[in-house]
Formats: sequence, C-alpha cells, structure tokens
Amino acid sequence: MVREVAESCVDGVVMEMVAAYCGRFYAAKPELAARRIEAIGFQVGHQLTERYTMERPRFSDHLEAIKFICKDFWSELFKKQIDNLKTNHRGTFVLQDNRFRWLTRVSIDPSVESMDATDNDSATLGDSAAQTTSMLLYFPCGIIRGALTNLGISCSVTADMSNLPACSFVVRIKT
Amino acid sequence: MIVCVAVVGHQNNPLYLQSFTEADDALKLHHVVHCSLDVIDERVNNPKRNAPALNETFLGLLYPTENYKVYGYLTNTKVKFIMVTTDLDVKDADARNFFRKFHAAYVDAVSNPFHVPGTKIASRSFGARVSTIVKSFGSGTTA
Repeated sequence: MVREVAESCVDGVVMEMVAAYCGRFYAAKPELAARRIEAIGFQVGHQLTERYTMERPRFSDHLEAIKFICKDFWSELFKKQIDNLKTNHRGTFVLQDNRFRWLTRVSIDPSVESMDATDNDSATLGDSAAQTTSMLLYFPCGIIRGALTNLGISCSVTADMSNLPACSFVVRIKT
Repeated sequence: MIVCVAVVGHQNNPLYLQSFTEADDALKLHHVVHCSLDVIDERVNNPKRNAPALNETFLGLLYPTENYKVYGYLTNTKVKFIMVTTDLDVKDADARNFFRKFHAAYVDAVSNPFHVPGTKIASRSFGARVSTIVKSFGSGTTA
C-alpha cells in the first residue's frame, strides 16, 4: 500500500518545526536548536530505513548502502534520485541534489531583493537568510545519518548550500 | 506449530520474546533462542559457498534439535528474527512467508514515534498481531 502526503503539508511542517525550534524553544542557542532538529531527523531516518529495506537483501559494503540512500530512499522521500554521487573511496561521500525539494521555496538570493537598503543592511539580511536556510538542512542531514546508522554505518553528515536550490550532503564515515 | 518467536536487536539484546505453549517450558525455549544467536553469527560471518543466497534476509533452518526446528531471519538493520517450531517438515516457502509478515508487523511497531529504538517492544497490538500470524502459520501448513 502506497501512502502519499501532500508536499505543501510537508513543507509547512518542516518550516514550522524549524521556526519553532529556532524562534521559540531555543531562540538564544541556535546550536542547540540545530542539534534538536537533527535529532528529530535522525529518528525519522532510523524508522524509515526499517521500512524501506524490508524486501531487499542485506548490503555487503558501505557503497551499497550509500547507493540505496541515493536511489531508493531518496525516491521514496522526494520522488527523485540523488543527481550526483562522488566519493574519495576513503569514507567520504558527497551526495548532490540539483533541485532539493525542501529548498525550492527558499528565495535564491535575498540580497537582490533588498537592493534599496544600505550595503550593511543587505549583508546582515543575507547572512540571516543563509542561516535560516542552513537550519532547514539540519533535518535532512539527520534523516541521512539516522538511515545510515540504522544500517550499521556510523557517520557524520553536513550540508552545503552554496548554490541554491542545489545542495549537497557530505557524509563522512567514522572508522 | 510455532512454539516460540523472538526479535533480537543488533547488539543481541532481546526486543521481543514470546512463547506459545501451555506447558511450563518457556525457559527451555528461550535457551534454544539464545543458542541460535551463535548460529546466526556464524552463518553471517562465514558464509558458505552457496553464493546467490549470500545476503538474503531469510537464513533458513538454523539448526534442528530433537523436538524443535529453529529458523532465522536477519534484516538489513541487523535485527534478528527467530522462530522455533515443532513441525518437522516445514516448507521453506511457509517459513519465508511467516517471516515476511512478522517483519512487516515489527516495522509497523517500531515506526511508532513513541517507541524508543533499541528497547523492548511493549506494544500490545504488536503482540496481538504476532499471535495472529503464529496461529495462521499452523493452519496454513495443515490446510
């Protein structure tokens, strides 16, 4: 049985969750807010892998598990696969999504809109916009980490969003 | 008839252990389950030459004892399912089918957001569902 969720609802929940943690619960401590959001993602990823790996043989190595994340797992979550996977064969993987669904509603270049403001203002505005966007990415980072941890791979995941709406997730496997 | 089923976590911690007999032999069955963990470890770490079934989740018959047959199943997330049955001629397909249903029930149970991963499954509906699966296994083989 396939169950679907309206995309706008997911968008709404993710944004509201980030807003709640950053703006209300831990307004003074952005790092703690980030950790909490990441932890929520971790649990989500942990439970989703349990479901999505149900009918498949066990993975024999790390690359196979990462490929599973790129292909099947990503298709289940975002209806598309990861666009590009790079690895240095030493435990670092870069998963690039050229049009990450949860960032498509984020304005690409906030500084353009605030052209009228003074330079100083637009810089701070751009800064805070970038910070808000990076907060949105802690949740998917947590999902990836939770998924891989449940498959027996402990790792750290960071996100890079230098050119929106493309973004890349860097997975570093702990040895 | 299935007399005992178990779910064991990736650190060999028991997550769910339930026997289905009237007699007072729960301890013995739990012992059988614990013994089978070693067999699973051995199977996974030193796979035999039957290459195609190398990474299959269904591990097949782990070991037969005098009265029981023990079947195992290992998921991608390193969770082990163990089933002890008194039937002496179990078809592989039936066992596979059983584990598939069992696994589905487990997944639904741990997807509960209030379940803490790595702890025992206390859900009563999971218990009820497992009992149903266990009962249908018995009827499925005789029918």
